Amino acid sequence: MLKVLAALAVGAVLAGVASVAVVNVAAPTAEPPNKPLYNYGDR
Amino acid sequence: MWRPFRFARLGFAGRDGAAPGPVLARTGPALLGLALGVLALGPALGPGFALRYDMVFVPNPPLRLNDGFPRAVPSDQVVALLSALLPAEIVQKLILLGLFVLAASGAGALARDVLPGGGIVPRLAAAAFYAWNAYLAQRLLIGQWALLLGYAGLPWAVRAAARGGTVRLAAALLPAAAGGFQAMLVSALTVLPVAALRGRGGGGGGRARAVLSSVAPSLGVVAVLSLPWLVPALVPVLRADAAADPAGVAAFAPRADGPFGTLGSLLTLGGIWNSHAVVPGQDMPALAAVRLALTLVAVAGFVRLGFVRRPAWWPGLAAAACAGVLIACAGAFAPGVPRALIGWWAGFGPLRDGQVYVAPFALAQAVGVAVAVTALRAAMPAPVAAAAVAVPVLVLPTFALGAFGRLGTAEYPEEWRRVQAVVNGDPAPGALLSLPWSAYRAFSWNGGRVVLDPATKMFARPVVWNDALVVGTGGGGQIRVAAESPRARRIGALLAGPAASPLTGPLTREGVRYVLAGGVDENTFLSRLPGATPVYRGRELLLVRL
Repeated sequence: MLKVLAALAVGAVLAGVASVAVVNVAAPTAEPPNKPLYNYGDR
Repeated sequence: MWRPFRFARLGFAGRDGAAPGPVLARTGPALLGLALGVLALGPALGPGFALRYDMVFVPNPPLRLNDGFPRAVPSDQVVALLSALLPAEIVQKLILLGLFVLAASGAGALARDVLPGGGIVPRLAAAAFYAWNAYLAQRLLIGQWALLLGYAGLPWAVRAAARGGTVRLAAALLPAAAGGFQAMLVSALTVLPVAALRGRGGGGGGRARAVLSSVAPSLGVVAVLSLPWLVPALVPVLRADAAADPAGVAAFAPRADGPFGTLGSLLTLGGIWNSHAVVPGQDMPALAAVRLALTLVAVAGFVRLGFVRRPAWWPGLAAAACAGVLIACAGAFAPGVPRALIGWWAGFGPLRDGQVYVAPFALAQAVGVAVAVTALRAAMPAPVAAAAVAVPVLVLPTFALGAFGRLGTAEYPEEWRRVQAVVNGDPAPGALLSLPWSAYRAFSWNGGRVVLDPATKMFARPVVWNDALVVGTGGGGQIRVAAESPRARRIGALLAGPAASPLTGPLTREGVRYVLAGGVDENTFLSRLPGATPVYRGRELLLVRL
């Protein structure tokens, strides 16, 4: 029973962290830049 | 009773007799991969082309070879052939979804081999992990679908290399062969140690002979399947006019994409050099911490597998995983080594982006996850253990929906298709020069997503483009990685000459017949091309025949 409760707690933590991440990322952000040319990327 | 591995016998099937049907057991990982693919690609499956960084698909792609290092050989040719049967945008979607299906089904099959009594849950967990992790996500976000063909086929290649048989291995390596140089290098890094270390027993010379006889056929298969890109890559290397700028090591070395530094990022299968290819929210400390915890569990599972069961492929996969992480670490922690190697011989150029070689470590972790879930299954009620299948998604949830919009689709403006028709309808030989002189674009019609110049894929004649790469660094600095194509280097020098100097003659002598320019001041531009004929003028594009 203890193991099951521990597993459920871990699952709840995972779900909570995932939810926070999704909410943060889904929040409105600035429009992407509209440059005619661009670096391959930025480090 | 095989006591050390007893937990494997207590899995889904053995514990409560609820064995899945044979069809579900075989197809479950593939179906899970399909579902994960739909979830991850999301908006990229809509109408139009998904264009991002190196992922450039174009309508009616022609069969042709470009100047410079053959990075897109034979992947471009495979796409061109498939596009003769289906619209290119459908081909792209099928390839992208196929990556997920192939990866998940392969990881599931590898887990099934090693945990035959473990039930379907561990297989699904391995499948979910291998098809949903930072490596796959980041390489997809930088558009390297051809590399991912090798990644997706890796579990199948490992199984084939462990079992032996050249035909079986060749079939398993076909996705990597279609992907080209990076896919084959990652596969070779994995397959050759697996083949070399699969044999047991013997010692001294007998052992060496056994290793040689195991590895030689695999090496032959890898070499033959690499010929399409190896020959065009080696010819300039042997002619000594190949260029691999050692500056690429600094540009493409792994970087920290979370709170645990570069090593922590690599261990959790991230660490790609480009900060724009990171999954949004990936650097959240809590998310990074649970990913690191999952990595530790997975590595423990993989190590335990080696102690208690040691399948034939285990030593080779372990060696490949360690080697891959070491290569990746070299770029970050000992950059002098790859710099020296690349400076000594251009053939070492592929070492500059070392994070690519973490792929076998991802596979080892996927198997380790299956082992850990099998053990979990032995200690938990079935529904609780089954929930473990969702863990890979929960630790990287923002990969969903095209990484929340980082992947999407766009339709090419009509003028691109018109220009393509004009150029490809001209039987006269001669290259096309694509301007402005920069490899990457951010078109408004593509949502501002950065993408390699589509002209590099669109025309049935050689396209000269600036294959020099510019990578931004913190603080506004830039690293410039020199062009690889000799003709691009020469034409780049011409274009950088005095603004008033005419270009028509020099470009014609370089074999250029067309100049395609986007977003230029037409009057200024044409003043440098006296005698040239504009053959198409659009809002975005100007096509000039010399």
